[in-house]
Formats: sequence, structure tokens, C-alpha cells
Amino acid sequence: MHTNRRDFMKISAGGAAALSAMSTSAWISGCASSERAPGMRFLRPEDVEMLTAMVPAILAGQVGPGETERIANIVKSFDSLLGTTSKIVVNLVLQAFDALNFAPTRALMTGQWSSWSDASLEDANRALERLRNSKINLLNAIYAATVRLAVSSYYLIPANQKTTGYPGPPKKVSGPLPEVDEPADAQETP
Amino acid sequence: MTNLSTITLGSDTDPYRKAEERGWAITNAAALESSTTLECDVVIVGTGAGGGTVAENLSKRGLSVVLLEAGPLKTSSEFDMNERSAYADLYQEGTGRANKTGSIVILQGRSVGGSTTINWTTSFRTPPQTLKHWADAMSVKGLSEESLAPYFAEMEKRLNIHRWQMPPNPNNDQLAIAAKKLGYSWDIIHRNVKGCLNLGYCGLGCPVDAKQSMLVTTIPAALDNKAKLFHHARADRVLVEGDSVVGVEASALAQEGWGTTGKKITVRATRTILAGGGINTPAVLLRSNVPDPHGRIGKRTFLHPTTLSLAIYDKQIDPYYGAPQSVYSDHFQWQTVDKGPVGFKLEAPPLQPAFTAGFYGAMGDTLTDSMDHLPNTNCLIALMRDGFNEQSQGGAVELSEDGQPILDYELNDYLLAGVKKAWTIMVEMQFEAGAKTVRPAHKQATRYASWAEAKKAIDSFPYTPFGVTVGSAHVMGGSAMGEDETRTVVDSQGKFHHLDNLYVMDGSLFPTSIGANPQLSIYGLVLKLSTQLASQFSA
Repeated sequence: MHTNRRDFMKISAGGAAALSAMSTSAWISGCASSERAPGMRFLRPEDVEMLTAMVPAILAGQVGPGETERIANIVKSFDSLLGTTSKIVVNLVLQAFDALNFAPTRALMTGQWSSWSDASLEDANRALERLRNSKINLLNAIYAATVRLAVSSYYLIPANQKTTGYPGPPKKVSGPLPEVDEPADAQETP
Repeated sequence: MTNLSTITLGSDTDPYRKAEERGWAITNAAALESSTTLECDVVIVGTGAGGGTVAENLSKRGLSVVLLEAGPLKTSSEFDMNERSAYADLYQEGTGRANKTGSIVILQGRSVGGSTTINWTTSFRTPPQTLKHWADAMSVKGLSEESLAPYFAEMEKRLNIHRWQMPPNPNNDQLAIAAKKLGYSWDIIHRNVKGCLNLGYCGLGCPVDAKQSMLVTTIPAALDNKAKLFHHARADRVLVEGDSVVGVEASALAQEGWGTTGKKITVRATRTILAGGGINTPAVLLRSNVPDPHGRIGKRTFLHPTTLSLAIYDKQIDPYYGAPQSVYSDHFQWQTVDKGPVGFKLEAPPLQPAFTAGFYGAMGDTLTDSMDHLPNTNCLIALMRDGFNEQSQGGAVELSEDGQPILDYELNDYLLAGVKKAWTIMVEMQFEAGAKTVRPAHKQATRYASWAEAKKAIDSFPYTPFGVTVGSAHVMGGSAMGEDETRTVVDSQGKFHHLDNLYVMDGSLFPTSIGANPQLSIYGLVLKLSTQLASQFSA
């Protein structure tokens, strides 16, 4: 998938040449771990650390930084959600995470100088806001993908959907349809 | 609306439960133990609005038909209205498909029935302004409003397309309420449903087969007519011999994951029809290395780039329940056709929770506090009519190193101006309808408590491709039709310009976007083109 990787970095060409060069060097020198975190299909240990810091900021109001088990479940859900997308999506997300995890690019992109495991909720908020408000498209793209996947990972879980007041869908069972009044549209002709 | 979570629905409507009894030839290519070769009159790649329509039309005339579908066969017995399984099973890249930079999320179907399995049933004939523009400016011949009318009428009858008779759900009703107050034109939407229970889950696969999608109409009819259906079968390339296309080579996809099984399905056919839709049809052509002297394959791909505004009311909306789309406004659609600012259609989308959360494009309290008010939430969307003005040339389909399609389409200043205009209209409408707070879909937006406050924010935002939330559910173009070979891929009959026996019959034919939800445009056009093609066999 080297073409995609280059394509992905190309979009940063305008204002982030240095960033791009540094992230590329992270991949070439193999700084980014290729080992998966325990129980994960795609996410690596440093991705899990980063997401563990980010999730309470992205989902503030629903998930607190101390709720270790809930956060772990959301990160696990993030990993399995990636498995329903495509190779292209997974590659782009993992490349974005490489850049978020490699110390020099992490600091430049997010202002997070120490590792994600040391990040406070405020640090995570600041990091996400920098990505979102940056003038560099690449950083905006990383924000958009990370936030969309994280909120989906949370709100795809039926128990979390209930917190919104959504009562849930009808129940599907085997057997015939229930007796219902024939809707008004059924016999209408165009 | 009534709490629907307390009702139960049976599964007996699923026509595929009787597949064996009816003698249907359905093959899961993932389970093939060896590669296979078939011969037929017509091979069709794709089973969506285009492929389904062609399959029924040609099989009922006695032609032998083979259908190849890359996605799985999922039917109503499995449609449990759960967002997670629906997105994973029924959507391209599990709803993760996006443009090249990731700024536009693209929702497209990916199972037997294509996008018709998961669309919201909204049905419009191709607007006359669009057909006139194609004839005047896009070198399209023979597709006037009059010449298409009988084909639209036939498909409307076939799919029970009719004006929705039940009251709009409150989410759609806000659009009507606001339009009335502000003096904007609006109307009720036509839908392809029969015995609809007004549940609201069209986008997750109709659980009771009321939606007259290809999955339950034309494809079962084609199977009754002895058509053969292969699912998990991805067309790799068309087979070329001399100046002619003689069929398709497809790879069997693994049951799980993204790999292939290594088995091939080779279909040799008198005619080859590509109906994989925008993005996927151009991708097959690009992978096939067919002649493309003017570099037109994949170009002018359009999206109806769609932006939104979310509002919270004191009243109950229950936007996840009830027919997803029943009201629209074209008040801002045709103020000009191809000169001036981009036109847009106003509609409302269904708001199941995970879909809504993604729609917000927000984080933290802005997201979660808004989500806590989901039962009181209304959303309006504006679908921009791209491809008419010269400043809107659409995107280009490219291939990744391993042959997967990537769409290079970016929001330029012309379209971003449309986003700003659409927010200005929609946000005011929502306040007129009684909203307490409104949030236009700018990444930096918060919830605004008055129209004046919101207007000030809308005027001060930076407008950039990633600053705004824009998605697409309508991929069109990329294999444009027309008589001018330097600008198009196929002629006005859908025949590929540079090789014989190869046709395109899907939404990728459109030389611009439609300016309306495209399913009926595909049905009517493809019924006409495939009827013309059939005459070649009887001649």
C-alpha cells in the first residue's frame, strides 16, 4: 500500500513538508511498532495508549478519564469497527496514528510533548482542538477520522444508544408479521 | 411517535426463504471449491438499481443472464435494525468509504440490491432541467422528458412508487412547517414501498420487505426467469478480444475479511453490462486497461455534496422513527441551471444514534449533550447539485496500487459557498419551526440559541474542506454518456465508445448530478437502454 501512503502524505505538501518528512522517517526507521496490542486485530500498544487518552475528551460527558474498563471497551470497539471498513481505511488510520505516536510529530501536531500515557484530559482536549483548528488539511483529516471512529465505536453499542433516550428498534423474531392495520399507502396507485 | 421498541416483527416476508423451492440459481462464490467458467447472453456486474433493472428486463425476454455481485446476499430475515450489523454488512467499506483526503464520507450500498437495499426510498423522475442541460450542453441524444416518460411510468408501477399517504414524521414535518412560514415551495415525497409499516429503518435494510428494492423485486423476478446470481464475486476486469468485449473475469471474495479465495469466475457473454454504480464501474474499466484516448474514465464523478444542520426542540421529534424522508423543498434548487451559485434540494434524514453521532462531527460536551437530546432533535440536509456550473467539474476515480478505487474529489470555493448559503437557509428555517438551539455542521460550531447568534457564527467561520461536515449518499457519473467522444465514455445508448459489446447501465452514466435522489433516474434510464439493447438480440 505504498501508493496510498504517499498519496496520504502528499496532501500535507503545502504547509507540512517537515512534518511529512518526519512521519515518513518514523515509518522507514520502523519506530512505529508493528505488533498488535493484546486482543486487538489492528491497534498497536501505542495506539491503545493514545486512544485511551483521547476517548474521555472526545466523549466528555459520557465517559470520564477514570473509567478504565469502559474506555477499554470503547477502544476494543474501535478496533473491531476498523475490521468492518476496508484495507484503504485501515491503512490510512494506522498511518495517522503513526504520526500521532511518533514523538517529534506528536509534539508538532498536537503540542503533546510527553507520551500519551501521561496526558491529562486537558492535554487530550488541547491536542484534539489543535488538530481540528489547524490550517493543515492533513491534521484536520486525522481529527475527522479519529473522532468519527471513536464516537461511532461508542454509539454503536446498544447500551450506549439508550443514554440518548432512543428506545431502540422493534424486535425481530422468526414467524409471521404481527397483525397490523393495513397502512393507508398500501393500496394506493401512482 | 409511538415507542416502536416494544413491537415485534416476523421474518416470513423474506422471498429468499423459498429460494430452493423456486429453483433459484444462487452461488456464494466464497464457497467455490474450484474456479468456474460460464457462458450466457448477458453478464451484468452489479445488482443495484441498474443491474437489477437490466436483469429483469432481459431475462423476461428469454435471454440467459448471469449477475455478479461483490457484496454478500443479505435478506430481511437478517435485517434486525441494528446499526452496527447493517453498516458492516450492507455498506461499502462499512460506511468508511470517503473521498481521497477523507473530508467527505460516502454512503453507498454493498450487498445484493446495492444501494436500493439501504436507501431511504425517495423517488423522483429526472428533473426536466437536467435532461435539457444534458441535451444542450453534454451531447446526450434521445433522452427527452417525453421519450423517458413511459419508462418512468413502467418502473413506478413495477416498484409501487407513489406519493406517501401517511402524515410525515415530526422530523420531516419541521421542514414543511418552516417552508410554510417562510413562503418556500415544498411538497410530499414519492416512495417505492408496498405495505410500509412506517418504522423508519429503510437505511438498515427493510425488516418487512415493504421497500420495493431490487433485492425483493427485479432480482427475484430474474431468478424466476433462470438468471444465475453469484455473490461474493468481484469483477476484476472485462475480457477483450480484438475490438470486442467477450465477458468478465471475477475473483471470489473470502467470506470474512478483505481477501480473495484465489478462485475465479469467468463469464463469457455476448454482451457485457457494467452496473456497479459510480466509483465501482469506472474502477472496473480502469482495471481492464480498455482504450481511453481522451482520459475520460472516472472523470466528472459527482456526489450531491450534502451538508446539514441539527436542531433541538422542546417538542418530541423521535427522528429515528417513521418514514425517513417524506418532505422536500426545491425552492433553492433551480433559481439558475448552470450559471450562478450552486442549487440545492432540502430534505430531512433519519437519525439513528450512531449515524447521528458521526453526523455531528463534534466532540466532548457539544457532542454528548446534543446526543442526550436525540428524541428532541431534527436535522435538515441540503444536497448540492454539482456538475452544472463550469466551476463544478466533479472528481476523478483513481486506483490504489492493489486496484481499489479512490475518489479524488474536493470541495472548492464554489461548493463551500453553497454550504454557507445552505446553512443560512436551514438554520433560519429551524428557528422558525421553533427550535431552541441549532448547530450548523461546522467543526468549530457550538449550539446557538437564536437566529442572530447563529447567523453571526455562520458569517465568521473559515470555510475549508475539513471545516465543514459534508457527506454523500449519491455517487453519479464517471462513465459519462454522450455523443462527443472527447468528453464522454459511452454513447447515449450506454455503449462504450471504443469497444463493441460493452455497455454501462447505472448511475455512472450521468454527465452531471441529477438534482434529485437518483434511484428512479437510474431505473427509468436503464429500462430504456436495456430495452434498446434487447432489440439487438431479436434483430
